[in-house]
Amino acid sequence: MNSRQAIALALGFAAAPALAESGQEWLEQMTGALNNASYVGEFVCESAGRTERLSITHRVRDGVVSERLVSLSGNGRELVRENDEVVVYLPDQKLAIIERRSGRSDLMGALPQFHGEVARWYKVDYVGREATPFGPTAVVAVRPLDGYRFGYRLWIDVDSRMPVRSDLSDGAGRVVERLRFTRLEFNNDIPDSAFEPALDRSKLRWVRQSPQADDEAPAWRAAQVPPGFRLSVSGIQAVAGAGAPVSHLVYSDGLASVSIFIHSPVPGQAPVQGSGRSGVASAFSTVVEGHQVTVVGEVPPRTLKLIATGLRPATMTPPAAPAAAANRRD
Amino acid sequence: MTDRIKEQLSTFLDGELPDQETALLLKRLERDDELRGALSRYSLIGAVLRNDGAVPAARQVAARVSAAIAREPLLGRVRIRLPDRESVLRSATGLAVAAGVAFGAVMLVQQVKSQDPAAPEPLIAQAVVSPVEAVSDLADAGDGPAQSYVTPPATDAPDGLAPAQLANYLVAHYGYASPLVRRSVGAGLISAAEVAVLVDPPKEGQADP
Repeated sequence: MNSRQAIALALGFAAAPALAESGQEWLEQMTGALNNASYVGEFVCESAGRTERLSITHRVRDGVVSERLVSLSGNGRELVRENDEVVVYLPDQKLAIIERRSGRSDLMGALPQFHGEVARWYKVDYVGREATPFGPTAVVAVRPLDGYRFGYRLWIDVDSRMPVRSDLSDGAGRVVERLRFTRLEFNNDIPDSAFEPALDRSKLRWVRQSPQADDEAPAWRAAQVPPGFRLSVSGIQAVAGAGAPVSHLVYSDGLASVSIFIHSPVPGQAPVQGSGRSGVASAFSTVVEGHQVTVVGEVPPRTLKLIATGLRPATMTPPAAPAAAANRRD
Repeated sequence: MTDRIKEQLSTFLDGELPDQETALLLKRLERDDELRGALSRYSLIGAVLRNDGAVPAARQVAARVSAAIAREPLLGRVRIRLPDRESVLRSATGLAVAAGVAFGAVMLVQQVKSQDPAAPEPLIAQAVVSPVEAVSDLADAGDGPAQSYVTPPATDAPDGLAPAQLANYLVAHYGYASPLVRRSVGAGLISAAEVAVLVDPPKEGQADP
């Protein structure tokens, strides 16, 4: 047997991972790991002047995804997700907020595929290898091709294919957020008890943000969106504090997403207009046709403003027109 | 590494690569860490299948590397533990273990650095004045030069929109956020001290879960 035969035979059944050759391949393998891995760990999130440390417990069992995030800053806050339900526990405010999405399969939907349409708006490059405290990683850059979306730089563990660090950057490549694992342990036998919040739930007030009837479609559409953004979800739901049912539209380019919330003005409250930011997410509020509009998403503020100001009632809206490409580099 | 290079490497190991191509391959080996790693791995696989006695030596080298790593201070290192299932699988495939250990040893010893000149350095500078942050590096500048960047304050809700109201929308958006940043959105919700949730008056007969 010569070396070629030996290598072919060995690689045919070897568990030693074959090395991906392109950014695309690395991302696909990373997606596979994210879809299937169960693990516990800790990560640090650096953004907007803050460094936050959190623990994470993530389990995939029989197609059901469970996840628990716990702030390690001492405030006792947690976020627990089980498939289509998310509960945010804020014990310091004696509150828990439930977001339940029965009938909307897009929630926590499939991980993005970095080919097809997405490849028109992002350029994926395999950058090279880089040693990290975890060991060797493959560095992959996902660069936006215009100014309407953020870019990503991912450090993918060569062994497990898990992203152990990710940087979010704007169109100019400037880092706006960094997330990196400091501990990561795989475990296929995480018990249910690991997803129980470590607090007394009986002392909390519960706030629900539930969907309304699924067949009730919002009467709004975005008349102008950046290239590649398409309506992926629409519905009517309760949002605490809005005082009325809220139309919720989600537009996505396959990687980034934008939520649009529209509701009647709250009696006695002045309309809200302006922009803001919370961590990696930006927000923009305005008034359209006498309705309060708030747009939220992990995209640059200009994207939110473009979408919000182009919002129209569905009865007078032609299909969404893509905005002209901004700062397109290709 | 392309299939053609792999083929060349394999042919080289068989001693069948023409001299001219051998010279080119050797030059490439000098500058290509990944290729050297592959050469080491392929050599070991071949040795295992030929049962020529090289494997125990390779294992000893790998063991020495592992021992040296184990003796390093833990400060600054990160633990990553593979699942038992995977460990068992690897144990069951002795050949794969040998190849993987050898390759891992090569990677650990070489501590290969990124080949991208635009790769960011560790985040080292943060603004003293909170909540504005100065980020000193670039994630991926593309063609542009390095420059500093100041991000907006952490939770500056739109004028007139209370942080609490923004939090409610963020919770509603969380499930639709890109999976690559969803945890960041979640982290923002449970970390930021000023995040609060607006509450409607309780409805009669509404029971908590």
